[in-house]
Amino acid sequence: MTTSAHMTTGAQTAVAPARARTATATATVRRRQGFQHGGWFVAPFLALFALFVIWPLLRGVYLSFTDANISGDDASFVGLDNYREALNDPAMWDALGNSAYFTLLVVPCITVLALLLALLAHNIERGKWLWRLCFFVPFLLPSTVAANMFQWLFTQGIGLINETFGLDTPWLTDKSYAMLAIVIETLWWTVGFSFLLYLAALQGIPEHLYEAAKLDGANAWHRIVHITLPMLRNITGLVIALQILASLQLFDQAVVMMDFSPGPELATRSFVQYTLEQGFTSYRVGYASAMSIIFFVIIAVVALARMWLLRNREESGR
Amino acid sequence: MAGSFGFAALGTGADALASNARTRVRYWNLFSGGDGANMIAMLDAFRTADPDIDVKDSTLQWGNPFYTKLAMAAAGNRAPDLGVMHMGRVTGFSPGRLLDPWDVGLLAKYGVREQDFNPKLWQRGIIDGKLYALPLDIHVQLCFYRKDVLKKADLLGDDGRMIPVTSTDEWFDVLKRAKAVQKKGLQTIGLWTNDQNFQWWFFVAFYTQLGGRWFNDDNTEVLFDTDKATQVLEFLRRHVTDGYVIPGAPTGEQFVNGAPFTWEGNWSVPVFSGAKLDYGATPLPPVFGSQATHAESHAFVLPHQSDRGGATNEGAHELAAYVVKHALQWAAGGHIPAYTPTLSTAAYQKLTPQNEYVGAMDHQATEPKVWFAGSTGVLAQDLGPVVVSSTMGSARPDKVAGTMKSHLTKLLASKNPMDGRTAAQGGAVA
Repeated sequence: MTTSAHMTTGAQTAVAPARARTATATATVRRRQGFQHGGWFVAPFLALFALFVIWPLLRGVYLSFTDANISGDDASFVGLDNYREALNDPAMWDALGNSAYFTLLVVPCITVLALLLALLAHNIERGKWLWRLCFFVPFLLPSTVAANMFQWLFTQGIGLINETFGLDTPWLTDKSYAMLAIVIETLWWTVGFSFLLYLAALQGIPEHLYEAAKLDGANAWHRIVHITLPMLRNITGLVIALQILASLQLFDQAVVMMDFSPGPELATRSFVQYTLEQGFTSYRVGYASAMSIIFFVIIAVVALARMWLLRNREESGR
Repeated sequence: MAGSFGFAALGTGADALASNARTRVRYWNLFSGGDGANMIAMLDAFRTADPDIDVKDSTLQWGNPFYTKLAMAAAGNRAPDLGVMHMGRVTGFSPGRLLDPWDVGLLAKYGVREQDFNPKLWQRGIIDGKLYALPLDIHVQLCFYRKDVLKKADLLGDDGRMIPVTSTDEWFDVLKRAKAVQKKGLQTIGLWTNDQNFQWWFFVAFYTQLGGRWFNDDNTEVLFDTDKATQVLEFLRRHVTDGYVIPGAPTGEQFVNGAPFTWEGNWSVPVFSGAKLDYGATPLPPVFGSQATHAESHAFVLPHQSDRGGATNEGAHELAAYVVKHALQWAAGGHIPAYTPTLSTAAYQKLTPQNEYVGAMDHQATEPKVWFAGSTGVLAQDLGPVVVSSTMGSARPDKVAGTMKSHLTKLLASKNPMDGRTAAQGGAVA
């Protein structure tokens, strides 16, 4: 949307350079005045942002080139040693693998589930508000609360889930189930957000498209496949991208559900948790910083890839 | 947490009014639950004994956050006057920089002397010739057994205690006989098969029974014996394959409900006594011939202060000495008091099952004295999950023994981030 608006402005400028110059001059004046006033409003935020985001980020980059420990003194410059060690550290790759595995499980499940729930809540006639509330409310819970609840639900012997389904599954203590348990908890806890995005998008699809299709004899299934899904394409892209970024940063629910351990046989130790261990169990702040930067790069690559894909699709769509 | 912060805030206000003439000693510990209550009772007793010292105690969450806070407080020169640590962590805690040594003369003035302690235990607190950790207790891994079940299986001796076991065959025979008479649907023994801490502690115990070593005296060479390790790992695994364990089943609860055995830390004593069970507790059975059970210690330390000294420092010495000497209450939590005169008092000898396992003091299996050792330290965090993978059957014992050796080799070569030295380069000189 923003991109196309810019393009239009650009085209007009080319056609009428003189008028554009005047316009630019006015804009500059306006912008300068705007900054004078707006600057003061933004200043408190900027100061806090610089103090708590920019400065720690720069400090983290600096620390990643040192052998700093938790006490903060006696750090010496070690060049790329931390990075070299991290890239050769099988435990780091295992942890990254765990985060990726979690992402791979969560993203498709949550996307499909959110869509189904949204279709349900959108098409249901009675008690619409109740459905919306039910699906969205878990998202409002703090992660520790949701994770604690599921820790009880999954406990072998007394947990409600095994009880209900007549199972005796060691959800939290066996390496083949532990990550699944976290995935299930995450689905319940966060599906509400994607659900809401889908619901809003569904309400934005013009009714006349469905009417026209109906006149042409399309049944409900055809209408979903040929109207609803294509009209939701952009929002699906957004949901997937946001979910990938959120899932890769797996940490709090896993740590709470596993009682701050890395899970059975390290099965649920995420990248973030391993970084934390290096920094705060092994006291290797420099090494932990280097891993954070590596993680930052991975996340940035994923985000950029998403933007690139999106742009390609927009261009091919035009 | 919120509650304790609230009380801490209240305490500060009241102390500020009352503590003009008194010496204030700030003391950080990591005791919650029953241990916490016992520690508070001992502090209250001290407050009555010496009203001139104003003890300001703070309880922090056990585990790594505690050590991180203590380290950062010491590095930032905001350290408390007195702290508690696990003995095994002291070597890695940069003694001399984050910890100050004890004044042994001052301790003696308050009645605590080296000869009142188990010599090996006292030595663990000494680094570069100075005492950095004053032991309060040892806490050990125990074999808890239900007398009501074992009686039916004829496994109790004339003294009402479990019959001695000296080999793995004897041990599995005991399990078999107990299983025959136990309540159905329960496991025969709780082993914490999924828990990386417990599995690691059990491994250390049995590996020590076999006479296994970790490193040479100079910490330059790995002497880890993979054959012995394999024997231990196979022994642990066999409990699962022979069907004596339900993996993942809650251990303590099963024991309370009638499972004949469970291996737990001695801190479970108040739990089982509270449940009014007819039970006993021995050190882990010497199935490989010699006695040894895993032991760690809580110890008092002096976090580094650049201006340590004077009345506050003396107050910290007095307080620590008092608690170490009056640790009978502490024994109620199952811990074995480090101060040996306590052990020969009539009051202690009347405590059951404490009097059954007090001998564990002389057969401690501990982690090697290196910077990466200690409760929830790097060593346990690295090797614990590996031991679990063998016990649970996802990796073969002999392969796991090899993995453990390669971890140990890597750790021995790595530098302590606190001072940039490897284990061979310093710290562990006793």
